[in-house]
Amino acid sequence: MPVLRINLMAAKGILLVPALLLLAACTAGNGEGLDESGQPIPINPPANSDFQEIQDTVFTPICTQCHIGAGAPQGLRLDAANSYAMLVNVASNEVGSLLRVNPGNPDQSYIVQKIQGNADVGGRMPLGQAKLPQDRIDLIRGWIAAGAPAPAAVANNLTVASSIPAAGETAQGTGKLTVIFAGEVDASLVSNTFELRDGLDQPVALAQVIVPAGRPNVVEITTAHPLASGSYQLTVRGQGPVALADTAGHVLDGDADGAAGGDYLMSFDVSAGAPR
Amino acid sequence: MKSRKHLLQWIGVAVLFLAGAQANAEPYLAAQMGFKCAMCHVNPTGGGMRNVYGNTFAQTLLAQKRLGAEEDLWTGQVMKFLSVGGNARANFNYEDVPNQDASNDFDIEEARAYLDFGVIPNRLSVYIDQRFAPGNATNMEANVRYWFKEGAYYVKAGRMYLPFGYRLEDDNAFVRQASGINMQAPDEGVEFGLELGSWTAQLALSNGAGGGAELDTGKQIVTRAEFVKSKWRAGASLVYNDTDLGARSGAGVFGAYTLGPVVLLGEVDVFEDDTIGDGTTFLATLAEADWKIRQGHNLKLTYEWFEPDDTLEENEQLRYSLLYEWSPIQFVQLRAGVRKYDGIPQNDNQNRTQAFIQLHGFF
Repeated sequence: MPVLRINLMAAKGILLVPALLLLAACTAGNGEGLDESGQPIPINPPANSDFQEIQDTVFTPICTQCHIGAGAPQGLRLDAANSYAMLVNVASNEVGSLLRVNPGNPDQSYIVQKIQGNADVGGRMPLGQAKLPQDRIDLIRGWIAAGAPAPAAVANNLTVASSIPAAGETAQGTGKLTVIFAGEVDASLVSNTFELRDGLDQPVALAQVIVPAGRPNVVEITTAHPLASGSYQLTVRGQGPVALADTAGHVLDGDADGAAGGDYLMSFDVSAGAPR
Repeated sequence: MKSRKHLLQWIGVAVLFLAGAQANAEPYLAAQMGFKCAMCHVNPTGGGMRNVYGNTFAQTLLAQKRLGAEEDLWTGQVMKFLSVGGNARANFNYEDVPNQDASNDFDIEEARAYLDFGVIPNRLSVYIDQRFAPGNATNMEANVRYWFKEGAYYVKAGRMYLPFGYRLEDDNAFVRQASGINMQAPDEGVEFGLELGSWTAQLALSNGAGGGAELDTGKQIVTRAEFVKSKWRAGASLVYNDTDLGARSGAGVFGAYTLGPVVLLGEVDVFEDDTIGDGTTFLATLAEADWKIRQGHNLKLTYEWFEPDDTLEENEQLRYSLLYEWSPIQFVQLRAGVRKYDGIPQNDNQNRTQAFIQLHGFF
């Protein structure tokens, strides 16, 4: 019986060793037909811009090794489809008092602190790799100092990037909503294009709807009274007599169909708790 | 001298029995000893604070030589209901990226302190893992753990590292990057565990937000099971994360086999993520060999392969590592190694070479 046991163990080793050798037979790709980020070379490359260059030379080839998909650290996705909306005027998770990208203020932008290695929390990014070349850091700083303009593809249509609370989220007793757009909002239109209704479809009184100073792609909505527990729906008008538009006159693509027009609808819940 | 060595060995054996079936270490060490992860660590899924046996192991079986008197055996228990521990890794790094100037720097990879309040011994614990460097203090784990049936089952709730595959020290290993489950990304949730005979298994439900704020109602479910024998072990992991953007699912198998002084260790993980582009399937593998040249000396060789998108050809990446780990005395480890990345030629970062020397202090 001991002999049989030895033979069984040896058999397991015989299985594992070839499996490891099989893995060792895998090779790296030769990159044929791919761009620097390992994606097929586009037939019509996007118009160049600082942000596009940052995306193409930093975010996509380096950061998306980890910061991609539903498993992205800190929920920060830096693939081309999400990076702008998840960075500009969005609060950092690790240091909530700082925005990831604070337009016009590179030193007060958490992403800059992380890549420079002087952030209050955690290691320098990219984690476990050499510091980004200084010209890439300077490119990011310069883009932020210039107001963090949106890439051309995003700027053609005004779209909603994110909101606080997020769609479907349950917020603790709140009286303030924030909507972040991928573009600079025409502040003269915001007072007539935002509507909040409760679960009984009754309008909720709004105290003010503003574009805060220095944050042209953000709209802050303050309700006349703290919201009671229940369900709510926020509507941002992208059609009708008065539709929200950006400063260049591009009307909101609220229904995300790729064309200007359509209302943006966002539902969320409020539960009892301390105001946030 | 001989009697001193025998005394330490007896202390080790005695603590082993006192500790029951709890303890864990780096996966290759666990495989080398035929232990479960929970043998040396307070956390039954491994990593973080060492328990009484883990500390004893570090002094009597891991280190080449033990300094100090026999009676000065550090167990981590500073008082009846409180245990402490810590880790600090100070590095000298060198990196060479093609088409860039080579760079080097000193840095503190991490400095952590652990506290475990055993408020009801062997039953109820409150555990804290606080990282003090780099950057300011950050909480990495904070959870309450309750054991049932004399250590056969437990439930843990709070912030924790999730169970998936092998919990490697190297967070940049492809398998740990691809899974997004590593020592940099704790999550909040609840975990149920089982430590029965040769089995160790966990089932966790968490926010699935990568350690960030939860923004949707979907949750992540992760499960891991491993069958552990003295010379071999094999296991499997599953993960499913439901988010507003789409679902992300993954599966992995892993195992190890001990051939005398050599441990062979492997893991293969495959993931499908609907939140990346139109949906992406990617695969990561790890093959590792650890050779215990003699007590206190380990030579580690790893080979990793990463397929970031199975719909594309010629985009695969490799990573090789050669490391030497020397534990001259208890609680001190000197590590030196070289890692070579091999990816598509147009991406300089995927073809970098790294080298490091690390002083690792722990208790």
